[in-house]
Amino acid sequence: MAKSKSVCNFAPKLIESIGFATLKTSFMVTDNIYKNEYDVIIIGGGATGAGTARDCALRGLKVLLVERNDYSTGATGRNHGLMHSGARYAVTDGESASECISENMILRRIARHCVEETDGLFITLPEDDLGYQRTFVDACERAGIRADIIDPEEARRIEPAVNPELIGAVRVPDASIDPFRLTVANLLDARLHGADTLNYHEVEGMIVNQNRIEGVKLLNKLTGEHVEVRGRVVVNACGIWGQRIAEMAGAKISMFPARGALLIFGHRVNNMVINRCRKPANADILVPDDTVCVIGTTSDRIPIETVDDMRVTREEVDVLLKEGVKIAPSLATTRIIRAYAGVRPLVASDDDPSGRSISRGIVCLDHAKRDGLEGFITITGGKMMTYRLMGEIATNAVCAKLGNTAPCVTATQPLPGSEDDTLDQRDMSKRYSFGQRAAIGRHGSLAARIEKENDIDNALVCECEGVTVGEIKYAVHQLHVHNLVNLRRRTRVGMGTCQGKLCSCRAASLMGEFRHDVKGAQADLAAFLDERWKGMRPVAWGDTLREAQLTAAIYEGLCGLDQVVDRTGKEDVQ
Amino acid sequence: MAERMQICNLSENNFEQCTKCSICTTVCPVAAVTTDYPGPKQAGPDGERYRLKDPAYYDKMLKLCLNCKRCEVACPSGVHIADIIQHARMRAGEGKRASLRDTMLANTDLLGTVANLVAPVANVTLGLKPTKMVMHSVMAIDKHRTFPAYSRMKFETWFKRHAAEHQAAYANQVSYFHGCYVNYNFPKLGQDLVKLLNAVGYGVNLLDKEQCCGVALIANGLYKQAKRQARVNAASLRQAVNMDHRTVLTTSSSCTFNLRDEYPSMLGVDTSDVRDSIMLATRFIYRLVDDEKIKLVFKQDYKRRIAYHTACHMQRMGWQLFSIEMMRMIPGLDLQVLDQECCGISGTYGFKRENYERSQAIGATLFKNIADAKVEAVATDCETCKWQIEMSTGLPVENPISVLADALDVDATRRANGL
Amino acid sequence: MKMNTVIMGGGLSGLVCGIALAKRGQRVTIVATGQSTLLFNGGSMELLGYLDGKAVVSPIEAIASLSEEHPYRKIGADRIALLADQAKTLLDDAGIQMEGTAAANHWRVTPMGVAKPAWLTLKSHVHIDDLKQLPCKRLALMCIKGFFDEPNGMLADGLKDMGFEVDRLEFTTDDITALRRSPSEMRASSLAKRLGSNSALQRIADQINQLAGEAEMVLLPSVLGDEDHIHALQSMVNKPLRLVATLPPSVSGNRMQTLLRHYFQMLGGNYLMGDTVVSATLDGDRVTSVTTAKLGDMPLKADQFILATGSFISRGLVADYERVYEPILGLDVDADADREKWTRFGILEPQAYSRFGVKTDNDLRCLKEGKTIQNLRAIGSVLSGHDAIKMGDGTGVSLLSALAAAQSILAAQS
Repeated sequence: MAKSKSVCNFAPKLIESIGFATLKTSFMVTDNIYKNEYDVIIIGGGATGAGTARDCALRGLKVLLVERNDYSTGATGRNHGLMHSGARYAVTDGESASECISENMILRRIARHCVEETDGLFITLPEDDLGYQRTFVDACERAGIRADIIDPEEARRIEPAVNPELIGAVRVPDASIDPFRLTVANLLDARLHGADTLNYHEVEGMIVNQNRIEGVKLLNKLTGEHVEVRGRVVVNACGIWGQRIAEMAGAKISMFPARGALLIFGHRVNNMVINRCRKPANADILVPDDTVCVIGTTSDRIPIETVDDMRVTREEVDVLLKEGVKIAPSLATTRIIRAYAGVRPLVASDDDPSGRSISRGIVCLDHAKRDGLEGFITITGGKMMTYRLMGEIATNAVCAKLGNTAPCVTATQPLPGSEDDTLDQRDMSKRYSFGQRAAIGRHGSLAARIEKENDIDNALVCECEGVTVGEIKYAVHQLHVHNLVNLRRRTRVGMGTCQGKLCSCRAASLMGEFRHDVKGAQADLAAFLDERWKGMRPVAWGDTLREAQLTAAIYEGLCGLDQVVDRTGKEDVQ
Repeated sequence: MAERMQICNLSENNFEQCTKCSICTTVCPVAAVTTDYPGPKQAGPDGERYRLKDPAYYDKMLKLCLNCKRCEVACPSGVHIADIIQHARMRAGEGKRASLRDTMLANTDLLGTVANLVAPVANVTLGLKPTKMVMHSVMAIDKHRTFPAYSRMKFETWFKRHAAEHQAAYANQVSYFHGCYVNYNFPKLGQDLVKLLNAVGYGVNLLDKEQCCGVALIANGLYKQAKRQARVNAASLRQAVNMDHRTVLTTSSSCTFNLRDEYPSMLGVDTSDVRDSIMLATRFIYRLVDDEKIKLVFKQDYKRRIAYHTACHMQRMGWQLFSIEMMRMIPGLDLQVLDQECCGISGTYGFKRENYERSQAIGATLFKNIADAKVEAVATDCETCKWQIEMSTGLPVENPISVLADALDVDATRRANGL
Repeated sequence: MKMNTVIMGGGLSGLVCGIALAKRGQRVTIVATGQSTLLFNGGSMELLGYLDGKAVVSPIEAIASLSEEHPYRKIGADRIALLADQAKTLLDDAGIQMEGTAAANHWRVTPMGVAKPAWLTLKSHVHIDDLKQLPCKRLALMCIKGFFDEPNGMLADGLKDMGFEVDRLEFTTDDITALRRSPSEMRASSLAKRLGSNSALQRIADQINQLAGEAEMVLLPSVLGDEDHIHALQSMVNKPLRLVATLPPSVSGNRMQTLLRHYFQMLGGNYLMGDTVVSATLDGDRVTSVTTAKLGDMPLKADQFILATGSFISRGLVADYERVYEPILGLDVDADADREKWTRFGILEPQAYSRFGVKTDNDLRCLKEGKTIQNLRAIGSVLSGHDAIKMGDGTGVSLLSALAAAQSILAAQS
């Protein structure tokens, strides 16, 4: 088969009922991208990479971002979804705490549609030392974080899910944030300002000319094509995978992967973030995220070779539950819909590569200074919620190399979706259907781009999460969706309690029509169900097991999907 | 692990036990006739997750829910779908005023008290075309509806004048929650029950203070008033059950369901301590016969063919078995048990002009099944089903207690029970 | 309240057992928690579809190769053959007209266009006796506009792979367009409610007749709930018409459930819909009564009891954080004690939990703490030793164990 010319190797078919033909598509021809020469090539499609791409593009640089999988598949999409106030770090790491509170306030302005202003509690339980509360509040004050000690009674009133036995509570400006939306919004803005972005493009090597990095060698994982793209500066924003990228360039960074597992519960039990007021430990934060809540995390140092194995173990589930019920006792009887794990990219200090002294803050390495390697910058460490600051720091470094003097505006310029503050979600019930309202909740003002003129566009595909045909069309055409897992990250299809029972078939059908590839859609459907199962399996008891059995009865028993797609024994390829 | 956890999933109204199987959507009578209603799954457990996130996700179309509870009966996962919807409506409706029409329809006892006083006039007036047109246009009560006729004498009055004094003579005593329908519209049902119970050696007492159970108030969003009345009734029930040690009998499935289950779940009025002592008379009588405590003797020449319609709330309570088995004791009765369908009236729902067509469309299957059954009458435990079926099929509709009373050889029964 | 037999569970197995008993004059009460898994059925019964991953040609012959724990082996292959005939007759009596034989599987066509081996398929539904000799060459696949619970692209693709020429024809009618106004309720079952009138059927027929062209046979998603409607539409269409299963809730499954329930009630059986057995009273090695959630302090007494409560989906089995158990009586269960072993990575791999179930003796009598309960038999999906997903034996086990249990009860009675 000839190599396809486009990233999306399918053309919109004229299917009247779905109305794809009427949609303005935004396909990019990769040929042009491959021929371009860029000011900066950013490797890594997590929040940091996306934030760097946006910043660079806003400062007028010609930007290419490449991601080997889908956007936000690394640590960005595998954390709590917590927008820290910084309070958690106040006692142990004042610098991080200050960064957090400053970024927290910025994100409330620029990423309104990704943020839910929930506030957070730091609770002291009878087993904890109430004396720590004073230390904690003082540290918060030093870092500039508002921290109000409130009466336990008041805490029980404002957050009924909290462990009623608490003996102390402090209210802080924590919030909930959706990292998938945040990353996509940054990418959209980068593209709006001329950047090119490619997912499913893996860096296989660097173009090295003497001691200068001049570009990257890429594998297009969708077509199998190998290409080289040139850039004046290459930014390594690959999180834990950055060690490997640095090695390709001939630089050495010692990363210490810290794995954290989390559990997602079927609905919100809490509407405020709840933390334990003590030194950071296992499973001490419960965050309300969209329609669910998430407890986490565990923390284990793991060998770098195992960072791609994200399966959650029984022991991790046990620890999370045992500690989680101390924060909110109702978790003991709330359905767990899935478990997942992520890896924090911790970096060893350059003067102590053993890992005993680990920096938890932002690390920006100019390899010219460090390793004598020109045109290569690594941005790592940090946190999802300081992504913007990391982007700013990295962009500053890039601009310094390129002699660009444009100021950074990412702290004040709203992201696409958040620029319209007239869209008041409180008053939506009269004007919009459930699906439309859910979409506004997800895409902010960008929801206006979702077609809703006819009944079919408004039809729900995913009923748990209110995802319409129109929203899927929008995501497929404008948000770089190649498969159902991508679609889920952009829209929440299949993220409800049933984990895609009926909606995944509906969505797969639509994708099959759209891509003109029925067999591919079936394989994609099986892969999607497999990916869902990966998270369900560690918690497959109770209603989650019932759900799994019903899904099997429908897709294997009724439909015979297993007969068309044989994936027995294959590992997840997403 | 030390403490046991994740043994079961507990959530309000079991909403997260939903596996999204969509079975509830196959039985919803409202979704079957209108696309305005999002259906029980969407209105219930799906919507609830979003409402927990933000109450603004409330969909005002939830008002179309009949609260028939058929979704709950069909649910294989034990999700209280209708309760989820009702609670959402309740939360969304807090602080809002009900319309005059809704208030009037909901206050069945107030309407009844006035109407009884002027029964001949009321019956004529409520039936007159101009009145109906005024009600249709001004009050939005549908012109097709005939208000149930009001009796001249309230059941309570009849009881005090003709029955009360000789009740104490019986060895066993029960209390009777007669409800508005028996009191104002159809005292005969109450009289039938007294006749029946007396014949088997049971004396009947009214409650100290009985108010309308409030089922219509809840349906019309008048929660505060419903709660007030529920408290009064709960006190009377407690007096009867805990102090007088009497079982409280009822003849309306909706009142019964309301007293036992909706008081605690919808209104937060706890009746759990007396719940087991509140029951439909059919269950009570069936049990006495089953335990061989009483004997029933039936008329020799009795012969009828009757269809039994399981009211939605009756099915939700799961007690149709008692009414059916009780009637099956009547030798001359050819009983046709109809497949459970909603009749569409759902209390006051079908009375509202905006609901009339939907209401009739919902009931169409039931009406057809009744016609196919070729019966001379229909039996059901719900009075609003009775109005709807009578209006829509022309057949007489009776409570199983009346069917039993009609078939009973009273003298022979008294003798058989040693009276 | 005294019955001859009380059946816990009102799905396929419970209803069939109840019918077989009520037909012979027993007083039977069925307690059904809610609607059953028949609503996920595609209009076929499967006796035995696969052995070691390969499609079975003759299910009866293949029984000998099953493990001894399999319910068919407990009942015995000879008896299964007889019961299979009986099952078909019983379904027929209930008004469920199916075609097929236990001696040789035919092929049903799934919503995704896969041919799966089946024992019985509704006469109105498409099925193929021999994939090498297709019943026709060219098919008109009628696709309902805006209906997403039939992946018709996959269906058409699969039919082409079987060797058909397929014309994929999208159509709509006023009734269908009107239903699509609902963002959430465009389901097969909702369509069935709207397409029942003669005028609605005529509008569909007009579309089919106009579009079907050269095709020899017309396929339509199974969105007609009533045999009468199917016949009416067939009479309006000038080509043979067959239905194809959709994603659930299944209209044909719902219809089967309704017909079985009607039949059972017509025979005098009590069907308690929406009630659940919560506990049972044992006297030595016999169950004396069961208590339901709604009948409260009036337990159901009976001579014989049947456990037809289904698998995890129907909560006949319950898995919690620590163990798998049978929730009503705490019967002996065949299930791994280690949670890690219940499941495997890979959703399409064989999952151990789908073989879990209650232990029985060869007469399907349940065990508690190793001792046989004399008058309690388990039937259907709650039985251990089979895998409805991987072996394609779910409905067969339900039907045949139900009839076997009924036979045992009647034999003991006489």
